Amino acid sequence: MPVLETHGVTVTFGGNVALDDVSIAVRPGEVTGLIGPNGAGKTTLFNVITGMQPVTSGGVRFQDRDVTRWSPGRRGRAGMARTFQRLELFLSLSVRDNVRVAGDIVRSNTRRRFDVAARTEQVLARTGLLDVADLDVSALPTGRARVVEVARALMTEPVLLLLDEPASGQTESESETFAELLLEIAGAGTAVCLVEHDLPLVMQTCTTIHVLDHGRLIASGTPAEVQASPAVIEAYIGQEATA
Amino acid sequence: MDTFLTYTALGLVVGAIYAIAASGLVLTYTTSGIFNFAHGAQAMIGAFTFYQARVVWELPTWLALVVVLGVLGPGMGWLLHTLIMRRLRDTEIVTRVVVTVAVLLGLVSLSQWVWNPQEGRVPPMLFGADSTVDLLGVTLRYHQVLCVVIAAAIAVALWWLFNRTRIGVLMRAAVDDPELLKLSGHDPDRISASAWMIGSTLAVLAGVLVTPVMGGTLEANALTLLVVDAFAAALFGRLRSIPLTFVGAVVLGLGSTYLVGYAPAEWTWVGNFQRALPMVVLFVVLLLLPHERLRGTATRSRERYQTPPLPRAALWAVACVIGLVAFGGLISEARVGTLLVGLSFAVIALSVVLLTGYAGELNLAPLGFAAVATLVAYHVGSDATAADPRLSLTGLVAGVAVAAITGALVALPALRLRGLYLALATLAFSGIVSAMLLRDTTPRTLFGHTFVIFPNGNILMPPLEVGPLDLADATTFLWVLSTLFATLGLGVVALRNSSYGRRLAAMKDSPAAAAMLGQRLMVLKLGVFALSTGIAGLGGIFMSMAVVSVSAETFGFTVSLSLVMLTVVCGIGYVSGALVAGLIAGAGITSLQLVLGDIALTHPEYRDTFDIVHHLLLVATALVGIGVANGPSGFLHDVFERQRGLARVPFVRWGGAAVQVALLLAAYAGLLGPALLLFVSVVLWSLLPAVATAWAPDRARPLPLELEGITTPNTLALRQRIDRELRIETEAGHARA
Amino acid sequence: MTGHPPALELVGAHAAYGDIEVLHGVDLRVPAGAVVALLGPNGAGKSTTMKVLNGQVPLTAGRLRLAGRDVTGISAVAAADLGVCTIPEGRGVFANLTVRENLLVSAGRRATLTQMEEAAYARFPRLGDRRNQLAGSMSGGEQQMLALSRALGTHPSVLLLDELSMGLAPMVVTEMYAVVAGLAAEGITVLLAEQFARIVLPFADTAVLMVNGRVVRTGAPADLEEALSTTYLGG
Repeated sequence: MPVLETHGVTVTFGGNVALDDVSIAVRPGEVTGLIGPNGAGKTTLFNVITGMQPVTSGGVRFQDRDVTRWSPGRRGRAGMARTFQRLELFLSLSVRDNVRVAGDIVRSNTRRRFDVAARTEQVLARTGLLDVADLDVSALPTGRARVVEVARALMTEPVLLLLDEPASGQTESESETFAELLLEIAGAGTAVCLVEHDLPLVMQTCTTIHVLDHGRLIASGTPAEVQASPAVIEAYIGQEATA
Repeated sequence: MDTFLTYTALGLVVGAIYAIAASGLVLTYTTSGIFNFAHGAQAMIGAFTFYQARVVWELPTWLALVVVLGVLGPGMGWLLHTLIMRRLRDTEIVTRVVVTVAVLLGLVSLSQWVWNPQEGRVPPMLFGADSTVDLLGVTLRYHQVLCVVIAAAIAVALWWLFNRTRIGVLMRAAVDDPELLKLSGHDPDRISASAWMIGSTLAVLAGVLVTPVMGGTLEANALTLLVVDAFAAALFGRLRSIPLTFVGAVVLGLGSTYLVGYAPAEWTWVGNFQRALPMVVLFVVLLLLPHERLRGTATRSRERYQTPPLPRAALWAVACVIGLVAFGGLISEARVGTLLVGLSFAVIALSVVLLTGYAGELNLAPLGFAAVATLVAYHVGSDATAADPRLSLTGLVAGVAVAAITGALVALPALRLRGLYLALATLAFSGIVSAMLLRDTTPRTLFGHTFVIFPNGNILMPPLEVGPLDLADATTFLWVLSTLFATLGLGVVALRNSSYGRRLAAMKDSPAAAAMLGQRLMVLKLGVFALSTGIAGLGGIFMSMAVVSVSAETFGFTVSLSLVMLTVVCGIGYVSGALVAGLIAGAGITSLQLVLGDIALTHPEYRDTFDIVHHLLLVATALVGIGVANGPSGFLHDVFERQRGLARVPFVRWGGAAVQVALLLAAYAGLLGPALLLFVSVVLWSLLPAVATAWAPDRARPLPLELEGITTPNTLALRQRIDRELRIETEAGHARA
Repeated sequence: MTGHPPALELVGAHAAYGDIEVLHGVDLRVPAGAVVALLGPNGAGKSTTMKVLNGQVPLTAGRLRLAGRDVTGISAVAAADLGVCTIPEGRGVFANLTVRENLLVSAGRRATLTQMEEAAYARFPRLGDRRNQLAGSMSGGEQQMLALSRALGTHPSVLLLDELSMGLAPMVVTEMYAVVAGLAAEGITVLLAEQFARIVLPFADTAVLMVNGRVVRTGAPADLEEALSTTYLGG
């Protein structure tokens, strides 16, 4: 049973079709990959899923409810969390407070009482950020800063976690640790959706991969199926490959 | 029918002037992204200069027009752009607003320096008041017809400019994508300079035309507020579309004349309402504008503040109360009154720290809310017929509550929109308060209770009396007020360190991320706005008690703007910033004027010199505000950075404190006056960091290598040093990877 | 060739966005009249290299030479004046201007509007049909044609193309590169950055592979093909 489904999502800007009839599904306990060349429409699809971009046609279902007209905040409260390709950190707060404030927000929205400080320390430990917790978040290199965004999203205990290029700017060893973290998050039952250019990371972590090109879904399947798909090779290397 | 035609014709004339003013505003805003709060002030300068040229210098009209429209308008636009606005690219909205507000204040002080506001100046109509023309049975003056003709000509000319000329196309291209314009070999700076020159000329033109149409004498403040009227018109086109702006201007113009023409005679408030109409319309249009989509933040904050931990803040709070009361004991009772005004301004400034420093929203009219609180407190909490009246606690609470509720109501329409719209809504609110409440001197009946909102345009605010505390006594007042400030300051710091404060910071830094985490932005903004206007109301009531006799001028928008500007200059993220800004705005300038006035009385021969110093002081304050463009964190931030060095040498720090106490005691012993005490103290604390460095030259431990580049900037030189120290052969290593 | 200085040359170029350095010492030579392909995965620093070459991003260390002249620290406006024509990544047109007005912005010292229009409409008749239409309302392919038209009438000394194929259908990409090939044949120096790249290799005289802010290989296009698929699809 998928947590998230998009149905024939189409987005046009002026005369440009950014997304053309895209239908994907994201299941709990798995990492679902979303790949494609630059400008294929991956971030636009993320924005549609999170409510930051209205659709021209089509719809989004989340946990069996039609959320197409919901605001981003309402989707967030319903259990979606995301990270941003162009980092959106709270620059006047420390690393710890960046993570902690997500808990503050959840606590202020629900009647559920929990110890925000304790959960913050757990999440910081889980994501390996304890050593930099007291630093200004603006002092972190990009790779670590992306992990702070993931930690912040984890504080909300999301049902669906959307990660927009979380590994870009990470070093090789950081990216390996990150792959383990992703698998662990998914293993705990969260549905993870990953947009990423680092294909080794995608192949290593994803159960299902959707490939976008020119706003269209050109392939969906397991990593092996996608790697073997002629359409994918063509999109990535150019049409000469098929000749 | 004839009256209808007359009102329509007059409405079109008024609309024409709004259109001219608004089109200039839209032009500069769209091409440079800077909303020019000084647009009305530029119109004001234009109107006064035209009067000067035409009436005082007796130049022929055409020459006066050349001076004003050909030289002053473009020149002022070019200067503003080159000296100030060019530097504002990629700055935050707060900085942009404060800088243009500073320009506004500077132009107002400049005009009051050159043109004494006590003199009445009736500007001439172009072609004189006697040349008239009959159109469909309506008699119009040439000047009025000319306004409509000019507006129509401008509409056509702007269309032609944007669609048929190269520079106009380049202006539109600069709005679209300035980077791409550079790649095509055009300098966006030069293009926006021409836009500023045109916009400024349109402002000046509106200034020359407006006063003879509206009637009355040239008035700097009223002309300056033309920016709000123009903004209301521009809002019809969402600050972008010039044709819709013209529609908005005509709607406003017709609305105001029809209102006067057709409102029932028993609506005595219509006259005041007409003045406030553009501002009321502004709120209505704000309500109708569609919700803005959430996007990532484009610019990154350059501001940095450190909030002290609560125990340290508490220590400072106690020191602050003791220091203020001790200083109060040194000065005369009249000067204590001035100090009290300064302190109540500091309380109002705290509302700015909370709202702007912590939550990133803007309120340009804290004193508008102070006025509302004062009026409510006065009517609810005092008995005007008593011989020696006192204000009750009920009145105080009611005043604060109403200010908070009003704040929420004012913010509601603008909260869905960008910060700029909220800032303008507050300015409009201040306009409504002064036009409607503070001019309302006729009896009104509400809930069977008859009263005058602002009797005789002046209120004698009675002092507060709560149990044993009677603020009629100046010393008690000082104790109470400084304790109130310290407590509120402490509360604001505690708030910043709480869950609520973190959520405010999150909203300020990235609305998109905060919303995605589930934060209801509207609720948070509304709450903090109400809280801050409540604080402004509280400070306002105390200010009215300290001033005793308050009038509309006490709450004027220039006072609000100066206070907000000074708070940003001092340090918008600091409670101490509020204290210093409040003291400067409420007490500092007054004291200096008093001191200068005293000397001028005893030495009449220096009167002119002191007059110049006084005006220079006002203009200089505005210039300081323009400096915010360079250091948006405020000057106290730099001071604290320097004082931080003292922590390493506690000996020097405690030595400094001891000298300070000694100075205070010496002042009590009569060895030095209060002014000298202040001066020596400032010198002492600014010299201490230097003393500390001399005493213990660079005791700073070198940073551990693993933290280099994390807590310090990650530079090439640093990486080379690390490579060297770790003995890494970089080039070869990377090529293999 | 040895007699002529390279049209473009970067020596030990470092560049950063704020505190984050993205180019760690790039050496790059684009000989006059050559077509050089700049290849590499996302985040390799190709776009930054382009922006350094056209003056949009300043160098923190190293030198930039244009036709042998040291122009380190040049502004984007001045570089454009010297004939560096950039077709930037993504949208290279002014969306709220008509086709004709877009051409008017590029017209100037190097070509009149009439010359620009003639060259553009002759090569892309579709643009001629839409001369009074807003650029933003056209399809992605037509927008890219318009962007490329900037180079057609102005005879640039160097043409920088950043991800020309991004988001375009393969048919359109082929058409675009035919135009580029035509310009190259006229002797215009071209540097093109592409992420997914086999399509540009037939046009290029030289290919340069960038990874992590450094040039890792330079060579004939055929020699680089091998290296490409390993870098991109992770083997």
